[in-house]
Amino acid sequence: MTSRLAIDALRDAVARLPDNRLSATRLAALDHLQGQGTPTTAHEDWKYTDLSDVIDISNQWLAHSAQERTPDVAADQINALKDRIDAYWLVIANGQVDESSVAVAQAAGISVSLLSDADVALDFDAPLANLNTALLRDGLRIHVEADAQPAKPIGILIVDDASSAVGVSQARVEIDLAERSTASLIEHHVSTGRSRHYANSIVRLVLGDHATARYVRIQERDSGHSQTGRLNVRMGRDSSFEHSAFDFGGKLIRNDLLIDLCGPGALATFTGLYIAVEGQHIDNHTRVDHRVGPAKSIQEYRGILAGATRCVWNGKAIVHAGADGTDAEQANHNLLLSEQSEIDAKPELEIYADDVKCSHGTTIGQLDESALYYLRTRGLDRRHAQQLLTQAFAQSIVDRVSIDLLQDTLREMVAVRLSKLIEGDIGL
Amino acid sequence: MSTEPDKLESFVNRRYEHGFITDIDADSLPPGLDEGVVRAISARKNEPEFMLEWRLRAYRHWRQLEEPTWAHVHYPRIDYEAISYFSAPKSDKDRPKSLDEVDPKLLETYDKLGIPLHERARLAGVAVDAVFDSVSVATTFKEKLSEAGVIFCSFSDAVINHPDLVKKYLGSVVPQRDNFFASLNSAVFSDGSFVYIPKGVRCPMELSTYFRINAANTGQFERTLIIADEGSHVSYLEGCTAPMRDENQLHAAVVELVALKDAEIKYSTVQNWYPGDENGVGGIYNFVTKRGDCRGANSKISWTQVETGSAITWKYPSCILRGENSVGEFYSVAVANNYQQADTGTKMIHIGRNTRSTIVSKGISAGHAQNAYRGLVRIMPQAHGARNHTQCDSLLIGKACGAHTFPYIEVRNPSAKVEHEATTSKISADQLFYCRQRGISEEDAVNMIVNGFCKEVFKELPMEFAVEAQALLNVSLEGAVG
Amino acid sequence: MLQITDLKARIGDAEILHGLNLQVNAGEVHAIMGPNGSGKSTLAQVVAGHDAYEVTAGSVTYNGTDLLALEPEERAREGIFLGFQYPVEIPGVNNAYLLKAALNARRKHQGLDEIDAFEFLKLAREKMALLGMDPKFLNRGVNEGFSGGEKKRNEIFQMAMLEPTLAVLDETDSGLDIDALRAVAMGVNALRSPERAIILVTHYQRLLDYVEPDYVHVLSGGRIVRSGDKSLALELEEKGYDWLREAATA
Repeated sequence: MTSRLAIDALRDAVARLPDNRLSATRLAALDHLQGQGTPTTAHEDWKYTDLSDVIDISNQWLAHSAQERTPDVAADQINALKDRIDAYWLVIANGQVDESSVAVAQAAGISVSLLSDADVALDFDAPLANLNTALLRDGLRIHVEADAQPAKPIGILIVDDASSAVGVSQARVEIDLAERSTASLIEHHVSTGRSRHYANSIVRLVLGDHATARYVRIQERDSGHSQTGRLNVRMGRDSSFEHSAFDFGGKLIRNDLLIDLCGPGALATFTGLYIAVEGQHIDNHTRVDHRVGPAKSIQEYRGILAGATRCVWNGKAIVHAGADGTDAEQANHNLLLSEQSEIDAKPELEIYADDVKCSHGTTIGQLDESALYYLRTRGLDRRHAQQLLTQAFAQSIVDRVSIDLLQDTLREMVAVRLSKLIEGDIGL
Repeated sequence: MSTEPDKLESFVNRRYEHGFITDIDADSLPPGLDEGVVRAISARKNEPEFMLEWRLRAYRHWRQLEEPTWAHVHYPRIDYEAISYFSAPKSDKDRPKSLDEVDPKLLETYDKLGIPLHERARLAGVAVDAVFDSVSVATTFKEKLSEAGVIFCSFSDAVINHPDLVKKYLGSVVPQRDNFFASLNSAVFSDGSFVYIPKGVRCPMELSTYFRINAANTGQFERTLIIADEGSHVSYLEGCTAPMRDENQLHAAVVELVALKDAEIKYSTVQNWYPGDENGVGGIYNFVTKRGDCRGANSKISWTQVETGSAITWKYPSCILRGENSVGEFYSVAVANNYQQADTGTKMIHIGRNTRSTIVSKGISAGHAQNAYRGLVRIMPQAHGARNHTQCDSLLIGKACGAHTFPYIEVRNPSAKVEHEATTSKISADQLFYCRQRGISEEDAVNMIVNGFCKEVFKELPMEFAVEAQALLNVSLEGAVG
Repeated sequence: MLQITDLKARIGDAEILHGLNLQVNAGEVHAIMGPNGSGKSTLAQVVAGHDAYEVTAGSVTYNGTDLLALEPEERAREGIFLGFQYPVEIPGVNNAYLLKAALNARRKHQGLDEIDAFEFLKLAREKMALLGMDPKFLNRGVNEGFSGGEKKRNEIFQMAMLEPTLAVLDETDSGLDIDALRAVAMGVNALRSPERAIILVTHYQRLLDYVEPDYVHVLSGGRIVRSGDKSLALELEEKGYDWLREAATA
C-alpha cells in the first residue's frame, strides 16, 4: 500500500506560507490534490515507481520541520556550483528563490521576475504539480525577448541542503522564448546533507515561432534524496528544442518530460543518460504529442545499471489526427551490469494519422562480446576493454549535448560516475 | 477507387435480413447467470461432480471481479444478465438442405477465398450429412490417431472419458481466477477440444477442429486443452478463413497448452468472426485468454494467428517459459477495417535458463479501425542467458484509423538480451503509382503490399492455411483504399 | 615460431579442424587457401584465441610457449596480430585511442615506456600516408560507418602500427578493389622481415600476385591436404579446388 499524504498537516503548512498573489492558487491546488490523491502503482503512469518513500518524507517534514524556518544553503556551496559553469545563474535554494540572483541574471534580451510579481494561471491536472503549487513560496519567470540571443546560458540552480532537518522543497519556473530567439538553458539539481529530502520541480517552457532552446538538465542529488521533476515544453512553428538530461544521483528519481509540438516545422531532439548504482531508482517518462505536421521528434535515452538498482524508461509518442508529415523516432538502450538490477522499458506509440514515419527501438543487454574480443586481440585486457566500451556507450549521449561549453564538464561528470561504478561491485 | 460498400459485409447484412439465423431453439436456458445456471449447464452435460465444483469456484470468483478497462478498445457496457449461457446445437431440420438454398453471395465469397467445395457446405450451415459423409472421413482420421495413441475429442467427452487428465491439467495454465473473461469461461464453458499426445509421439496429422464431430456451436465459451507429453509433437489448427457467423455477440474462449520435456506444440489460428458492418453495427466481441506453458526442458510452443474478424478483439496468446532452453514464439497478423478494434499481442515470461522467445507482430489498420499491439516480455532473475527479439510493425491505410503499440519490457537478469523494434508506415501514393504504372490495379497493388508486409507471419502457417489466409486478407481489406 | 600439431577444434557441436599440422618459421610468408567452409577462419580465430572455438586435441606453440593457455590480449602482447575478415564496428571508441592503448599495452609488456602523444601521432600519420588513408580516420569511431574496403585498410594500418611478430590476415583481400588490394599488399610487404612471419588466409590467388608467399597450403575438410610453393596457388587458380577434394578423399 502506498502511504497517504497527511492532508490536514499540509493545509496547515500552506496556511503558514507568505501571503502573495499565489495564495488563492495554492488553496485551489490543494483542493484538487485532495480530490486526486497522490499517484499509486495502480496508475499506469506510476506502475513501476512507488512514491511511498516520498510521501513518508513529506509527512515527516509536515509533522516537524515544516513548522520551522527553512534553513539556508551555505553561500560557499552555491558559489562553488555556480563557478563550475559560466552562465547567468538563478538560484532556488531549499525551495526559496534567491532574489539577489534575479537582479544579477538580467542581461541583454533576458528579463527575470518572480512568479508572484504578476497574476498566475496554472493548471491543476497533475497531483504532483498541485503539490508543487500548494507549497510554492514563489517561483521564477524568465522571458527571452524576440530575436535575442543571450551571450551565456541561463542557469537555474536548484540546490537543497538537508544537513539540519528533513526537507521538502518546491521549485517552479516559467520560461518563454519569444519569436526567433535562441537561448541555452541549464537546469541543475544538487543536494547535500544527511537527512532525508524530497524535491519537487515544475518547469514550463514555451517556444515562440522560430525560437531555439538548447536545454541541459543535470541531476546530482545525494544518494539519500528523492526528486520528482516535470518539464513541459510547448513548441511553436519552426521552433527547435534540443534537450539532454543526465541523472547521476538521487535515491528515487522520477522525471517527466512532456513535449507538445504545436507548430508545423517544429523539431524536438531529446536525449538522456542515467547511470544508477546501489539502491537507486531512476524513472524517466517522456511523452511527445505531435499535434500538427510536418514536425519531427527524435529521442534517445541510454542507461547503465549496476548494483541493486531499478530504472524505468517509458517513451510515448502520440500522433494526433491530422498531424500528417510526422516523423517520430524513439530509442532506448540499456546496459545491465549486475544480478540485482532491473530495467522496465515501455516504448509506446499511439498513432491517429497515416502520413507518418514512426519507429522505436529498445535494447537491453551487455557489452558487445565481439567488440570486447576485438579489443583484446589488440592487447587490451578485459577490464580495460569493458571500461572503454561502457564509456563509449555513455559518450554518445554526451556528444549530442548542444550547449558546447558543457561538453567537457559533462564528460568529466560521466567519467567520475563511471569510475565509481567500475570500482564498485560490478566486476568490471 | 471503388466506392461500393464492402461486398463481403453487405452480403453478411443481407443474411441477417433473410432471417438465416432462425428463432432461438426451445432447448436453451433463459438469459442471466447465477449458480443455478452453472449447475444446469453441468447437469445437461452429465458432468462428474469435480467439474461442477470447479465451475462453481470459478463462478463465485467471477462475481467479485470487475470487467477490465485497460485495453485500447471502446464498447457499450455488456449486460451479462441479458446473455443466455446455454443453447443446444441446432437440429438439421432448420438448416439449408443443400448449397442451392444458400445465398449466392456467400458462395461467391467462398469462391474468392478458394474454399474447397465440401467445406463450403459445412461453413454455410448446410446439414452436413446431406452433403457428404463426414462421419466416414472422421472415422478414417480417428483410426489413424488412436493407432498413435493420440486422444483428440470434444472437451465434454474428455471430462467423461479422461477425467484424470482433465483434473490434472485443466486450469493449470489459465487458472479459474486468471482474469474476468477466463473466470466467466471457467464457469460456463460450453465445449471445445481436448488433445493429449503421449510420450514420444509425433502426431501423424495436423489436428483441426474441422475433423472433430459435434463441433457445432461451441463458439461462445469455448475451452481447449492440449497436452503434449515428453518428446511429443503436435500442430493444431483453429478456426477457418471463411466468415463465421454466430448469433452470440460475446465470445470468451480459453485455450491452455502444456508442453512437457522436449515436446512441441504449434497452434495456428485464423479468426474471422463477423466484424460488424461498415458502420460499426454488430459484430462479435472476442475476449480470449490463450496461454501455453513450456513446462519441461527444451519444450517449444509456437502461436501463429491471423486475426481479421470480430468487432472487438482482446487476445494475448502467451508463453510461460519455465523449462530450461524452452522456446516461445508469437507470429501475428491483425487486420482491423471499418470500425473494428483490436487489442492483441503476447506475453513471454522467461523463467528458465537459456529460454528464447521471438515475437513478430504485423498490424494493419484501415477505415476507422483502431489496432493496438500490447505485449509483455519479462525476464525473471533466474533466467540466465534469456533472449528475446520483438519486431512489431504497423501499416496504416487511410487517415481515420489508428495504430498503437504498448510493449512492456521488464528485465531482471544481466545476462539477458532483449531487442524490441517497431515501425509504422503507410502505403504510399508513390508505391501505388509505381505499381499502377506497371499495369497493376490499385486494389491488387494494395494486396501485394499488404501480403508482402505479412509474409514473415504467413510463412509460419501450415501451407494450405497460408494460401487461404492471404486470400482472406485481400477480402478483409476490400474497399479500404479509396 | 609457430608450431601447430594435430589440432582439432570445434564450434558448438561441429568439429571443424580435424587434425591440422603447420609449422611457420621466422621470415616466412605462408598462404593458406581453400574452399569456403574448409576451416580457414577457424584456424585464424583459434590462433587469436576466440572463446567460441574449442580446441579438443593437439597443440599450438608459439616461440616455445603454449599459445592455447594464453588469453587473447596476452597473445596480442606477445606479438600476434589477427586481421579480421569482418572487422567489428565499435561506435564511440575512437581509432586513435584504441591504437594508442594497444600500442602501450604491448610496450608495457616489453618493459618499454608509454609512447608520448606527439610521437604517436607522427607515427600514425606516417603509416596512414603510406597506406593512402585520410588522417581523419584517426578520430572516427573504430570502423564506424567504414566501407568494407576502409575496414580492411584500417586493419592493415593497425598492423603497421603494432608491428606484430606473427600476423594472421583472414581474407583481408576479399571484397577489395584494385587500389585497396595494392594498399593491403604494400602494408604486408612492408612488414616482411627475417624476424617476422605472416600467414595469409585467402580464397583467391589474386593477393599472391602482389605478396609472394614462400609456401602455399591447401586446407580442405579441416586438414591441410597439400603444400607447395607459389606455383600451387596458380595451379589452384586454374583447376579449382575440386580435384584436391577428390584427391583427399581417395
